[in-house]
Amino acid sequence: MAQVKAAPKTYDVVIVGSGAGGGVAAHVLSLAGAKICMLEAGEWFDCSKDSKMFEWPYQVAHRGAGTKYKPWGAFDATLFGGWQVPGEPYTTAPGSDFMWWRARMLGGRTNHYGRISLRMGPYDFKPYSRDGKGFDWPITYDDLAPYYDKAEELIGIFGSQEGLENTPDGKFQPAPAPRGYERLIKSACDRLRIPCIPSRLAILTRPLNGRPACHYCAQCGRSCSANANFNSPGVHIKPALTTGNLEVRTGAMVREVLVGPDGNATGVSYVDKKTRTEVEVRGKIVVLAASCCETARLMLNSKSSLFPNGIANSTGLVGKYVMDTVGSAVSGFLPILQDLPPQNEDGVGGMHLYMPWWLYKEQAANKMPFARGYHIEIGGGRGMPGEGVLGGYPTQFLGGGYGVEMKQKLRKLYGCEVHFSGRGEMIPNEDSYCEIDPHVVDQWGIPVLRFHFKWSQDEILQAKHMQETFQQIIEAMGGTVTKKDRPENQWGIAKGGEIIHEVGATKMGADPKTSVLNQYCQAWDVKNLFITDAAPFVSNADKNPTLSITALGWRTSDYIADQVKKLNVKV
Amino acid sequence: MADNNQPETPGVSRRDIFQILGAVPAVAAVGAHSHMHTGQEEPAVAKGPYKRQTFDDHQWEMVKVLCDLIIPADERSVSASQAGVPEFMDDWIAFRTEQDGNMDLRAEIFGGLMWLDHESNRLFQKNFVGATADQQKQLLDRIAYPGKAAKDDSPWVAFFTQFRSLTVGGFFSSKQGVADLPYLGNRAVAEWKGCDPKVWAIIEERMKNGYKGVLEAKPWSA
Repeated sequence: MAQVKAAPKTYDVVIVGSGAGGGVAAHVLSLAGAKICMLEAGEWFDCSKDSKMFEWPYQVAHRGAGTKYKPWGAFDATLFGGWQVPGEPYTTAPGSDFMWWRARMLGGRTNHYGRISLRMGPYDFKPYSRDGKGFDWPITYDDLAPYYDKAEELIGIFGSQEGLENTPDGKFQPAPAPRGYERLIKSACDRLRIPCIPSRLAILTRPLNGRPACHYCAQCGRSCSANANFNSPGVHIKPALTTGNLEVRTGAMVREVLVGPDGNATGVSYVDKKTRTEVEVRGKIVVLAASCCETARLMLNSKSSLFPNGIANSTGLVGKYVMDTVGSAVSGFLPILQDLPPQNEDGVGGMHLYMPWWLYKEQAANKMPFARGYHIEIGGGRGMPGEGVLGGYPTQFLGGGYGVEMKQKLRKLYGCEVHFSGRGEMIPNEDSYCEIDPHVVDQWGIPVLRFHFKWSQDEILQAKHMQETFQQIIEAMGGTVTKKDRPENQWGIAKGGEIIHEVGATKMGADPKTSVLNQYCQAWDVKNLFITDAAPFVSNADKNPTLSITALGWRTSDYIADQVKKLNVKV
Repeated sequence: MADNNQPETPGVSRRDIFQILGAVPAVAAVGAHSHMHTGQEEPAVAKGPYKRQTFDDHQWEMVKVLCDLIIPADERSVSASQAGVPEFMDDWIAFRTEQDGNMDLRAEIFGGLMWLDHESNRLFQKNFVGATADQQKQLLDRIAYPGKAAKDDSPWVAFFTQFRSLTVGGFFSSKQGVADLPYLGNRAVAEWKGCDPKVWAIIEERMKNGYKGVLEAKPWSA
């Protein structure tokens, strides 16, 4: 093709993607002295300038409500992307429901995510050994623990020392005090013997490395113009840029990993979105961190005579064992909270308390109908009023009405809502995977993914347990359940991908025959190809993946730096 | 409600936030407000007069009257129309029509407004807007209480429920409605102290003895 322009320079490392996984690789490797080219499919994003912090719903069109291409509303930090990216489709196989969130922007999904930062525990690395389902990781908790320490110290996580089973404590900043409704929930949970402890979020409660502490406006999802929460542009990429070793190219949609005659990666080829031209960038090492499924797509599309099924895919396992998180939610209304003296209940952008999984003993004694656990996330109180606030209350609680009397009752009922969301572990299965759709391409001419997805009974029964538990907690507070789900609806279990915790697709392992990557997330088939996003994950514990991505990515990056020194990887 | 219980979480001035954020641009600090708004102009409901997209002139008069029957002014805050709810509703219906790819919401609202006029004409020989307060009340009482309404009125009950929901949500998310509740956040707070102890004491007291307000909260069993 005449339009292909070869870049003359060869970088030490080419990194595809700038989210949690790409960010940590750029940070560690640039500080180690590597010359890096990072490629991001979206545009530049600077939270200090582009955040919608402090705007009011009434200041923007339609009170900032969600739209097809801005599904989480006008203020959401996702610059471009969502469940649909215009011109970049994906498909689902018949009988499969799967939703794929893509954030095309510098920092990817780290800009808007929930900042929940939970370490995987010792059990979570050896799930197969414990219950015979899924797979064991090739590493243990002790292998990753030092990297959790480093990640937490760089990112800044608040939490508390609890010493609970399979819920490792970390290097925490002090946790913020709970809100009123959270203390109430804790009182109910104490009675029900459900542990309710300070949450663990990547939000600063103390200044760190020049970043200020949180100012408690609760709008982390908009991205923070003060950079008081974790996002890879502010925490990883900014310091990496100051080393002078990192070059970031935005609008670069990577099409293919290039391979030399010796079977090693030589770089990547990407579409420069602005000029619609094909550009090659050469690197001695290629790190993929495009997000779990996008990474698998890129590998499957990187076909050559040496790798007819896609790069590093001699096992045929690339794209297999995609997992999401089990999600199910119940809402309640608590009359005990009506007509209280008003107070600011914003706090940080997320819950101040949460409930880690607590039924390990019952599970070990075979008393539970499902394998693996979930944690509970909570919300509610006097949150920022959006377009729907109190709208349903006249019918729900007052028997109808209108006029001054209704108005005066309504304001007294503001702040009484509580929401419970379960976030549970999905076990990898043969029916959940992604592959290249043979018929569909995106606007850049790149074949797209087709998703297959199925929950097993373990996950569905877990959702049932969530529904029953949340209802129990609400009733223990004298509340009314206002939204719950039923068995015919599979207990409200979220669609695959809907919780936006996709992991797996290029599993790591101890055996090259049954895994794509070794324990350092290095491709068994291609020694200079590494993956630092969530694609290497072997299981998907109920510990939201971002913190583990940054810890595992750090470990992989340390290994890369070390191997380069020892010249075990071609440089 | 001027002395509500929130001394623990004071609002921070614009100057303070720049100090909190670690940068103090002198120019920016000049326009200090006690309430942070990011420097956005307000009200941002619209620049210039609002241009209707949904309701015609006759419907517009009805919508304003109906909104204010649902949320009138009282000692704490203005009425729905004074808070821009008719404009919100006109825009919201156009927005949903475009987003949902159908006219269901629009049809429900238009149809309900039509019925109000029909029924008002049939009973009182006047359009709804021209009817007396008592006559308007007579019609609304038929459709405002789902549990008590006649079966034949159920489409208009559904209409009113929808219209009321938009009015209430539109009002309490408006600038005036936010102040009415009041929602006290969306501002920088220098130090976070958690739930006000005085508020927590009230909650604990209610756990023990229950509370009878708009709704009843039963005491927690021992």
